[in-house]
Amino acid sequence: MKFIIQRDQLIASIQDVMKAISSRTVVPILTGMKIEVKQHGITLTGSDSDISIESYIPAEEDGNVNVEQIEEGSIVLQAKYFPDIVRKLPEKTVEIEADENLKVTIRSGKAEFNLNGQDAEEYPQLPKLQTDDSFELPTDLLKSLIKQTVFAVSTMETRPILTGVHIKLEEGNLTFTATDSHRLASREVPVSDSNTAFPSVVVPGKSLNELNKILDDTEEPVEISVTNNQILFRAKNLNFLSRLLDGNYPETSRLIPEQSKTVLYAKTKELLNTIDRASLLAKEERNNVVRLNTQGDHVINITGNSPEVGTVSEEIVVQSMEGEELKISFSSKYMIDALKAIEYEEVKVEFTGAMRPFIIRPANEDPILQLILPVRTF
Amino acid sequence: MKTWAEVADIQPLAGKILMNSMKKNRISHAYLLQGKRGTGKENIARLLAKGLFCKEKNGIEPCHSCTECKRIDSGNHPDVHWVIPEGQSIKIEQIRNLQKEFTYSGLESNQKVYIIQGAETLTTNAANRILKFLEEPSKQTTAIMLTENSQSILPTIRSRCQIIDLKPLNTRDFQQQLLEQGMTNKNAALMSALTNNLNEAFEMSNDEWFASARKIVVQLVEMFVTNPKDVFLFVHNHWINHFKDKTEQEQGMDLLLLAFKDILYYQIGNESSLVFFTLDDELLQKAAMSFSQHMLIETLDAVLQAKRKLKQNVQPTLVIEQLALQIQR
Repeated sequence: MKFIIQRDQLIASIQDVMKAISSRTVVPILTGMKIEVKQHGITLTGSDSDISIESYIPAEEDGNVNVEQIEEGSIVLQAKYFPDIVRKLPEKTVEIEADENLKVTIRSGKAEFNLNGQDAEEYPQLPKLQTDDSFELPTDLLKSLIKQTVFAVSTMETRPILTGVHIKLEEGNLTFTATDSHRLASREVPVSDSNTAFPSVVVPGKSLNELNKILDDTEEPVEISVTNNQILFRAKNLNFLSRLLDGNYPETSRLIPEQSKTVLYAKTKELLNTIDRASLLAKEERNNVVRLNTQGDHVINITGNSPEVGTVSEEIVVQSMEGEELKISFSSKYMIDALKAIEYEEVKVEFTGAMRPFIIRPANEDPILQLILPVRTF
Repeated sequence: MKTWAEVADIQPLAGKILMNSMKKNRISHAYLLQGKRGTGKENIARLLAKGLFCKEKNGIEPCHSCTECKRIDSGNHPDVHWVIPEGQSIKIEQIRNLQKEFTYSGLESNQKVYIIQGAETLTTNAANRILKFLEEPSKQTTAIMLTENSQSILPTIRSRCQIIDLKPLNTRDFQQQLLEQGMTNKNAALMSALTNNLNEAFEMSNDEWFASARKIVVQLVEMFVTNPKDVFLFVHNHWINHFKDKTEQEQGMDLLLLAFKDILYYQIGNESSLVFFTLDDELLQKAAMSFSQHMLIETLDAVLQAKRKLKQNVQPTLVIEQLALQIQR
């Protein structure tokens, strides 16, 4: 195996791939980074067995030659040393060569490193790309889908399936759902190629957070496909694979109340700030409870209370309010998270009594849905 | 023991049970392999794992050369998880990580295997945590637990596994093997009693520390026979200085046990089983005269108890002092 590569290109790719590599892994080979050299380009792979990232450097791109003197082959290099070595090399190009005894030579200018590699056969085989049964989403839409749902996943390991986001494609609608059984966040978006058969899967929240970090805010499409064990997000020159959570996701559609007794419309920012202020005096060990009282048609009163410290109360004028009078308590933290996830100026909050979950949606009926369970305070 | 054929040779019963269940494709969800050191527990576990993953099996025999087999050998297979005691025991944290891993789908296939080495060292908490997981594994999971002593495993775990007993290795065969490799007769007998591993046996027989350890044990026995009053001094001057860490102390106890066993064997005429002394040893004859059979049995019991105490982290100086006093009586 041998190639000469532009150092900047290599560094950029290594940085992407390093995000998946963890030093604390049970499988020894996963502390390494796999380099696969083909005539058309070079693929770097990193994995911590939960997520795997593949970064591809094409040999030629837009008339520029990135990689030269290619001899095919593959090797696994220690991820602890390789990135630092490449970063500190003196010249603009790097020559990497591996012999049949897995000895790797890295040359740049007059510097020469000899590293011990590992056999690439030992590296986990990532599923082959299946291009059928996939669909595309713009990167920024995918990122906002993740941001609006992933915060609601459970952090408790008692019900592992809830630590993931449920992704489902039905009748041309793609739905992301996350819940920790106290709150639920979901969003639907229409997908253009609606006839793909896409199994419903549960992707670990941790993986989606990583994916969100690694993707740039562009409108370039990301191709999403599922093999039997993994989900693949395919951006330009970058493949992100994540393992799936095993098990059946609970049926969530029945949790969402269809009718409501009290509906109020408010400015998102105002409501968010008011609750944020009230939460200052809400105690963490008591679930950050704040209380909401309706007062007439246009005013609601939000109070926070912790007996040892003091109380806070604030009135806020809402756009409109319909239905019964209401007193309800809920976790301010959940409410703040939910309001932040709604990226529109006005929200609609639908209550069905003080003991039933309530729903927050954008006022313009965009299918973002945040559901929160109230807290019983008496 | 690289192939099922070899397993069947050394462990006929266990080999047959496992081979038949492989043939009929009726692998149990959990195995508990029980056998002394060197009986090939790890090898059998590895063979089982290979049998589940290898794609080019010849009958039930895995190919040992495909990437799956190679990675199982090198410990790099992503769907085969080894749990090895961290220090003295397997901690609850390790089991938690294992369980977390199993909430995910497999990395390459749907088949998953976990192998717990030294399952008797599971802490109570860890053992209780693994119970439910053992009973209701997610799809296509095979658990293999390896232990030297299944009696110290929670009965609730035992009852959830198919227990495979590996028979102890035949020491005579091993002795013969050592002799063939050029070890002296005297050494071979002792080594075969102490270890099941060929390399270890040679290492020990060439080890200077071991040679003097052996001398000290001989001297101690001599003290008991000729000058019992000074035993206590001897223990402090020599024994404690020589047997420093825990493994060394345990080995010292093993040697002492073998020495007294030999004296007993000599008395009852089981002369072919001697390992520590040779038949023409003067000390052996003298010792046999000065200890009664009853005393010897009590001594053996005391040595075993001392060994147990060392395992339970009793202060080693106190253990050997107490033992010296018990034997002196």
